[in-house]
Amino acid sequence: MKTIHLTTKYFLWLSMLLLAMNSCDSFVDVELPKSQLTNVTVFEDYATASAALTDIYSKIRDKGMLTGTNSGMSIELGNYTDELTSYGTPSNPSFDFYNNTILPSTPAIAEYWNSTYNQIYAANSIIEGVQASAGLSLENKKQLQGEAFFIRALLHFYLVNLFGDIPYITQTDYKNNSAVTRMPTKEVYEHIITDLENAINFLPDNYNSSDRVRPNKFTAKALLARTYLYNKSYAEAANESSALLNQTDLFLLEENIDQVFLINSKETIWQLQSATAGRNTQEAAIFIFVSGPPPLVALNNDLVNSFTIGDLRKSNWIKEVTDGTTTWHHAYKYKEENFTATSKEYSIVFRLTEQYLIRAEARAQQGDLIGAKEDLNKIRHRAGLNDTTAITKQGILEAILQERRWEFFTEHGHRFFDLKRFNQLDNVLSAIKPGWNATDSLLPIPQSELSTNPNLRPQNPGY
Amino acid sequence: MKTFSLNKGLVALWYPFIFGFYLCCAPALARNTLRLSISQQQSQVNGTVRDGTSPLSGVSISVKGQQKMVVSDFDGKYVITASPDDILIFTYVGFKTATIPVAGRSVINIKMQEDATALQEVKINAGYYSVKQSERTGSIARITAKDIETQPVTNVLATMQGRMAGVNITQTTGVPGGGFDIKIRGQNSIRSDGNSPLYIIDGVPYASDPIGYNQTSSTFPTVTSPLNSINPDTIESIEILKDADATAIYGSRGANGVVLITTKKGKAGKTTFNITASCGVGTVTKFIKLMNTQQYLAMRKQAFINDGITEYNPWDYDINGTWDQNRYTDWQKELLGGTSQINDLQGTVSGGSENTQFLVSGNYHTESTVFAGDFLYKKGGSQINLNHRSEDNKFRLTFSGGYNAQNNDQPAFDFTYDARSLPPNAPPLYDADGNLNWENGTWDNPLRNLNAKFESKTNDLIANTVLSYELLPGLVLKSSFGYTDLSTAETRTAPSSVYNPAYNITSATSAIYLNNTDRSSWIVEPQINWEKDLGSGKLGVLLGATFQSQTTTRLFQSGNGFSSNSLIYNLASANNVNVLLSDETHYKYQAFFGRINYNWQQRYILNLTARRDGSSRFGPGNQFADFGAIGVAWLFSNESFLKDNSWFSFGKIRSSYGTTGNDQIGDYQFLNTYTTSAVAYNGNIGLQPTRLYNSNFGWETNKKLEMALELGFLHDRIFATVAWYQNRSSNQLVGVPLPGTTGFTVLQSNLDATVENTGLELTLRTSNFNTGNFNWITSINLTFARNKLLHFPALESSPYNQQYRIGQPLNIELLYKYKGINPQTGVYEFEDTNSDGRISFPEDQQTVVDLNPKYYGGIQNGLSFKRWKLDFLFQFVKQKNRSYPMGFAGQMSNQPNRVTNSWQEPGDNASYQIYTAGNNNAAVTADYLYTKSDASITDASFIRLKNISLSYDLPLKNTQCKIMLQSQNLLTFTSYKDGDPEFTSYGFLPPLKVITAGVQLTF
Repeated sequence: MKTIHLTTKYFLWLSMLLLAMNSCDSFVDVELPKSQLTNVTVFEDYATASAALTDIYSKIRDKGMLTGTNSGMSIELGNYTDELTSYGTPSNPSFDFYNNTILPSTPAIAEYWNSTYNQIYAANSIIEGVQASAGLSLENKKQLQGEAFFIRALLHFYLVNLFGDIPYITQTDYKNNSAVTRMPTKEVYEHIITDLENAINFLPDNYNSSDRVRPNKFTAKALLARTYLYNKSYAEAANESSALLNQTDLFLLEENIDQVFLINSKETIWQLQSATAGRNTQEAAIFIFVSGPPPLVALNNDLVNSFTIGDLRKSNWIKEVTDGTTTWHHAYKYKEENFTATSKEYSIVFRLTEQYLIRAEARAQQGDLIGAKEDLNKIRHRAGLNDTTAITKQGILEAILQERRWEFFTEHGHRFFDLKRFNQLDNVLSAIKPGWNATDSLLPIPQSELSTNPNLRPQNPGY
Repeated sequence: MKTFSLNKGLVALWYPFIFGFYLCCAPALARNTLRLSISQQQSQVNGTVRDGTSPLSGVSISVKGQQKMVVSDFDGKYVITASPDDILIFTYVGFKTATIPVAGRSVINIKMQEDATALQEVKINAGYYSVKQSERTGSIARITAKDIETQPVTNVLATMQGRMAGVNITQTTGVPGGGFDIKIRGQNSIRSDGNSPLYIIDGVPYASDPIGYNQTSSTFPTVTSPLNSINPDTIESIEILKDADATAIYGSRGANGVVLITTKKGKAGKTTFNITASCGVGTVTKFIKLMNTQQYLAMRKQAFINDGITEYNPWDYDINGTWDQNRYTDWQKELLGGTSQINDLQGTVSGGSENTQFLVSGNYHTESTVFAGDFLYKKGGSQINLNHRSEDNKFRLTFSGGYNAQNNDQPAFDFTYDARSLPPNAPPLYDADGNLNWENGTWDNPLRNLNAKFESKTNDLIANTVLSYELLPGLVLKSSFGYTDLSTAETRTAPSSVYNPAYNITSATSAIYLNNTDRSSWIVEPQINWEKDLGSGKLGVLLGATFQSQTTTRLFQSGNGFSSNSLIYNLASANNVNVLLSDETHYKYQAFFGRINYNWQQRYILNLTARRDGSSRFGPGNQFADFGAIGVAWLFSNESFLKDNSWFSFGKIRSSYGTTGNDQIGDYQFLNTYTTSAVAYNGNIGLQPTRLYNSNFGWETNKKLEMALELGFLHDRIFATVAWYQNRSSNQLVGVPLPGTTGFTVLQSNLDATVENTGLELTLRTSNFNTGNFNWITSINLTFARNKLLHFPALESSPYNQQYRIGQPLNIELLYKYKGINPQTGVYEFEDTNSDGRISFPEDQQTVVDLNPKYYGGIQNGLSFKRWKLDFLFQFVKQKNRSYPMGFAGQMSNQPNRVTNSWQEPGDNASYQIYTAGNNNAAVTADYLYTKSDASITDASFIRLKNISLSYDLPLKNTQCKIMLQSQNLLTFTSYKDGDPEFTSYGFLPPLKVITAGVQLTF
């Protein structure tokens, strides 16, 4: 009996020991993982805050609408319109655009939507993080926020043009962002203009990076000019483009057409740097092929045949490939598909030529036909062509649309947006796209989006 | 974040303290022990123990009233010292205990009687404690080495398929090194990756979180799982803990059940050698019946006619004359029809003395692939076990260590998709010179992917030591120390040679992806075990604590741009090296647990368990939570009114209720951070927001209720269990899908939703024959399970509104309702449920189809006749699943041959719609809707001869030689048309049919 008494005593003692061991809760506190920084730390320091900002440019380059990869607008909107012809295996996702068989569930649509809003989130996170930062100088804050405002405007600009009414996201709070409603297009543009005005106020005139890989004040103005043009605010559009065109110490039209897409082109307003030194554009890797049939896409024959004889853009920006019987053409604006010792080409997002054509169109719309022709001819001359023969306002506008087709093919879907703006989409595309409808001027909102946020319903018409 | 406080150091300080305590007490207490007086002359008694046909090894022979014990050796022989008046007790699991007085003899040969009732005496591992089968209050399913040895499989989960009630296991791919999906009593968590059970190997938690990386382990539908490292051959038993009574002691990690794996231990006796060698073949179980060239081309031509197109497009190579239209290739046979060669070798040495036993085993396994090309999976390992107890039986030590190495070489991509979709007249794989044929760039030769390789090397160490000391009679101090160390290195190559040469891609774009993941963990679990007679019952108390720490480091890299493809494995030769992820994560876990068990006269049993858990996966303030359970059992067969009933041998009612939790959400999810994106821009390596920020999430809780009845008749020759359970999982921890407008598509958060799993589990074991020469045992298990979403606040406005329905299971599909084919247009038609004149999403996509199995189970038979032994298991599952989506018929992609029954002209009564080459928008859309409609769901029930094993024991002296013939998945009966009915995602290799022959030598 004594032993049993002893066991009970020991047991109680030991139990208390065990309990005591366990009473310290801090065992389960862990340090931060080595690969992460808290969002407060990131904005304590300009270097880390810059890294957070410039990462958005890498993302824009690699994913979503502006990427030069085979899922970006340069290729897909080319396929969707009369710029490109799809080849390759039936699994090539470009066929959805080329054959006009886009559905709300088409992965490319969700990819545009989700990666763009992810980039917008990152921009909003910069704006909020910088706002709350105690460690950044005022000058640094302006630089970072200015760029973030520009990014936010730029991304919403493309979204509204592709999807119509869309939510304009200006904060990171998921509770709000998950229940947003679609904002009428007009209001979206108002927000874009406000963001661009902020960017213009915050950003310096000069580039704070070599090779113009980060936007400055004039980049924001370039987008603002385009925004006004798309909104038929012609006087403002002409004003903004003039502001750029007058900045001759920064921007000049390259005389030699082969210089336009090189890394140090004087007409580049903003370009996206390649991921690594020596690497060139993803566009070159996608568009260029050396033997037929083309693995992915070739230029549409209508486009190739539409060039006037002697147009340098046909001879220098397009290359012919033949297997003896059939001939194909590919875009050859970017010429370096492989690595070079140092990078020779970056992916250009804004270039000065567009500003001339914006002003030409704005002037024509305002009745300044002489001014319009002057701007238009500048671009024609550079391409080795004579003055335009258009005389009337209508004629000049048509010539501008045609010029834009020759100038901007395979550059971020200009052709699609131009046809849409000129109300020519149905006219031009119903002849060549099976089952083309007027409602195809907008892409569908991704299916996943409508199911996760019912406030975004209804779907765009026609889908 | 706060770093470690000094307290952590203090914890460690307790250990020497406790051990000091042990040491101080031991000598003092030794004096109190009883000393046996040796009153009579001792002499040696020897003999042989047999079971009627053959010698029985491992029988414990002890002298009544003494601690002395010996074990019979391989030949059934034993020697023990006893006095002439002593009584010898022979005990062996599965046999009736024999009590034989020595009566002055020096040779005692005995024949032991098999005893079905004795199964109730088997000790079941319940994790922190073990419990007699008859006395357990919880729900525990079990298989042992006997069941595992008959199966030619390499994955531990495969060994359990079809053998346990309430455990549903699905193989996700037939590629060696691939994974299995396991659900114990259904899906509890809305998170699809939050439903893994807790794995414990010899007391050491084994993290089952994936160790792969989606850029490298692209061959599998899910990234590499570490579970392949466990070698089934080394396993003695697997117990699955299911209900609250059994799992609550595992607290936050017990919600999805616990899988306890116990490795083999050495046995005292003569040193025994065991060598098993086997080799065999594996082939795909079932292919889809696809169109032949004639049918295919007819379809294609008709498609263009239907679309009103007279001139084929330049890219329609299959019918525009570019490809030979008389060719026919059975691509499934060509790409998946190979034979996998399987070789397996194992050896074991075991033995030891009464006080110290050992076991050392080693194994080596290779398995080639059914894919075209040479690929090999290699696995080797060794296992060591050491047991020791001191002369006075007070101190005990158990050490188990296992090391396994795997080397897997596979193509980077599964060929199943290509095999099903390639046009049957697609060009030959090789040209006349034996090179890959690209047919002038008109097709993507599927074998291009042979150049893209996946390689995986995994090394895994698991070691555990348990020390225990009996401080006083009934009071045992114990501590286990466990360590695991796993390292995996995976690569996937994407050489330029996988591309069509027309792209003119050089090795400058060749790429390699690398994944190096290392995970190590340690665990210390001090415990006190106290047993005491209290009143006319017995009280057992267990208290313990857990300290666990786990560190995972991951390094994902890619390299591209090589001067030659032969340098692709040399990262230093890459023009560009990108670090895609470099990460080190820590997981820390702390708990305090206890169990109180009271057993009153073997009739009423009460079992209380509890655990307080803390985990670093939750934010400050949310780290700790309490879990507990109560279990009761009434052994009514021990009541006096039933005790001596001749036909009713066992009766027990048990019930339990309690809570468990789930913390499977990954580490650091509560932090608001930026992570490096590993991509440079403008001289800076980028930083990206890691996730949407939410720090206020806590545990998922799972309340489990169970009631069961266990009945044995005719000395338990008929033994049946019926168990009913209801588990409710709430406070769901989920990555809530969010609209893309939030910037991300998921958010970590607790959702106030409740998921209920209810089910009925039936098991029946009958001993049909039990004579000396012929034995036949049948075991049946059957599970009816129902999963239901009980509660979901504001489901309609939540992101899940098109995924779940209240009152329905989680695993449902919301679908369009298929109406039939429009007799005029030949296009599929669907119910316009909201009558708005069109098929609209989501309004019309509301037909609910349940994809959970309705019931499943297995029927196992074990027969033995003299030296022959036959075991076979039929597994059956009643379920529905998706048919394989082939895309719209008429495009340049093959179709099942049943699609030949398509609509041709108005008035046709066909099963499939009009062919289109892609220009009939209505048909393309209708095909898409069809795959999202109830017509795409089909019966995928099956009955499968999961395992069959035949062995013959050669009549040899001194050596046991067994010849075995084993097979897995030999026969499958199903009405499912699209290949094998067992899959979780499309387009991956189904489980293989394996046949092996082997020899086992024991001497």
